[in-house]
Amino acid sequence: MPFNVNFFDGKTSRTHKATIHISSLNWRISYVDENNSPIDISWKPEIIKKADVYTKDLVSFSYGDTFPFQKIESSDIAFIEHVNNSEHKNLNSSLDALLHKSKNKSLVILLLTLVGLAVVTYFYVIPAVVTGFASTLSKENVIDFGNYVFRVVTADLVIDEEASDKLQAFVDEMEIESTFPLQVYVAESTEMNAFALSGGKIIIYSSLLEKIENEAQLSALIGHEVSHIENRHVLKNLARNLGGAIFVSVLFGDVNGATTVLRDNAHMFSQLSYTRSLEKEADIFGLDIMRDNDVDLHGMPQLFEILQKETPIDVPTYLSNHPMLKDRIDCTKQIASKQKDVLINSVLKEKWSMIQQAL
Amino acid sequence: MEIISERSMTKTTIKYYGKGAEFAVIYFKNIILTLITIGLYYPWAKVEILKYHYQSTELDQARFSFHATGKEVFRGFIKVYAIFILLYAFLFYALQTQNSVLMFSAIGFFYLFLLLIIPFAIHGAVRYRSSRSSWKGIHFKYLGNRTEFFWMYVKGFLITILTLGIYGAWFQVDIRKYIFSHLRFGDLSFDFKGDGGDLFIINLKFILLVYLTLGIYTFWYYRNLLRFYVNNTRVYQSGREVKFKTNMQAGDVFELVFINGLLIVFTLGIATPWVAVRTLQFFFRFLEIEGELDANAIQQAKYDDYDDATGDDALDFFDIDLL
Repeated sequence: MPFNVNFFDGKTSRTHKATIHISSLNWRISYVDENNSPIDISWKPEIIKKADVYTKDLVSFSYGDTFPFQKIESSDIAFIEHVNNSEHKNLNSSLDALLHKSKNKSLVILLLTLVGLAVVTYFYVIPAVVTGFASTLSKENVIDFGNYVFRVVTADLVIDEEASDKLQAFVDEMEIESTFPLQVYVAESTEMNAFALSGGKIIIYSSLLEKIENEAQLSALIGHEVSHIENRHVLKNLARNLGGAIFVSVLFGDVNGATTVLRDNAHMFSQLSYTRSLEKEADIFGLDIMRDNDVDLHGMPQLFEILQKETPIDVPTYLSNHPMLKDRIDCTKQIASKQKDVLINSVLKEKWSMIQQAL
Repeated sequence: MEIISERSMTKTTIKYYGKGAEFAVIYFKNIILTLITIGLYYPWAKVEILKYHYQSTELDQARFSFHATGKEVFRGFIKVYAIFILLYAFLFYALQTQNSVLMFSAIGFFYLFLLLIIPFAIHGAVRYRSSRSSWKGIHFKYLGNRTEFFWMYVKGFLITILTLGIYGAWFQVDIRKYIFSHLRFGDLSFDFKGDGGDLFIINLKFILLVYLTLGIYTFWYYRNLLRFYVNNTRVYQSGREVKFKTNMQAGDVFELVFINGLLIVFTLGIATPWVAVRTLQFFFRFLEIEGELDANAIQQAKYDDYDDATGDDALDFFDIDLL
């Protein structure tokens, strides 16, 4: 059965109304040219090039190894039907034919696949890749990165040198097994905050330090922050944010998004919030450090109580990345109550009193 | 000299037959493939999407064709990413040394490189796209000279900076004139007749009025820009001039932008392919070709088989769209 096509010979733009006869050996195109002479052209299926795109009401093919290429276009339903059912890979993509057969069904399936893929990538693939990356990065690289962030962050901060030295003396006396050299700084600020940077730097704001009442509470704070450093939480968190953002930007076709995250993050380190599980891990690890230093574990829940008093609105757990302080107080209190014969660490006590004098 | 009376003026229109659901299938299929290949499929996705728009666009009962291949675009894509990874690596290296001389020269080099790469990218992109576009079997072709275009660009850029941006309108028009006057379609040639001064006034009116009207003037501004670009475009066929015209009104622009915005927001972006199709339909609905274009008498010219898509990929990287 012949089909109707428009034929273009590649030499001029003239549209030739032609018919096409299809056999397994060739496509025979016949038309009458402008001089009324009948023309017959034969296309070998293996040289025919499909358009590589699906449009429902129109198919097009080109032909030839050398320029100019011949071309046919057709809206003949019977021809389109024939092409869609063809098995020849030069003529038809079976995936496209299948997808476009029932468009709405395909759309639902595609969208569900997309959502599924997005969820799996965002919640499983990225965290796994990121944690792997953060754990395998060399110590030197982590320190370099920490130094870079430190420069960015401290550009906006005033460091109290004297108090920092005293605080450093306190930390140096603490028994901590750390892969990274620990350096502590006191920054002058009215904000209640303390944070750790990758590679061993900890920054504590002066107003928080002023609220701390004893060496146990300070050890709790140091222990908690050291845990973030030792377990590379900062890096994991950054990498996760970055990975997530890259993913989202790829999803929406905007690759530049990734650079924005890097830039934003540099300023976000002081406000960094960790996931609940990381925060809990840091609490437990911090308590271990306190135990090693023979200080009262109650310093940890006390520290949280101080923070709780200073935080005006308590955000419900499910809304916040920070596990609600009350949860953490209860949890650490329970562990602290099991501590037997609490000793007094006189060295730390002395160092603490020196810090108090410096403030 | 030819005298063309109003009556002999024929009006031809370009029709866009793309359908939202059909394009959505293609669009989402390609997003999925791009995601599971961590972006490596992107060149093929881009090509298929362009092929769809081309094959949905009809003039004189024949569709346009886009002949690029994913492989060609992929080669360019890899080159562009390799260049930018090296460039960023150098920049980050310089920044972390904290050596101010090295830092400033790295930043300077970075921006200079960005500036100088753009004219090359534009040239490459126009040449590649033209070579890979056809209608009725006739191919487009770009005959611009890369060095000439490069110096024209650098000169225009410097004057624009020296005049605090004022020259920008003339600069833009010069680029367009250069590209159009070197563009061929078989034996047809093109030109752009716009004047930098007109574009400057369009931009100036926008700056003066947009705040006064709380942004509402934007719709008139877009209409003016579109008219400026479309109405000044010319095609020449054996000495005869063919013009383009758009009669889109500010209200039409408003309708397009407003409904597209609603669609995107309320579907969380899922409507993107429908919006793309709507936008093209909209654009072509108002486009008219005036003059006698003999659509059956265009002669094929020598083929420019330019398979280097690096420029096209670089423009994509900068998020610059041709036309």
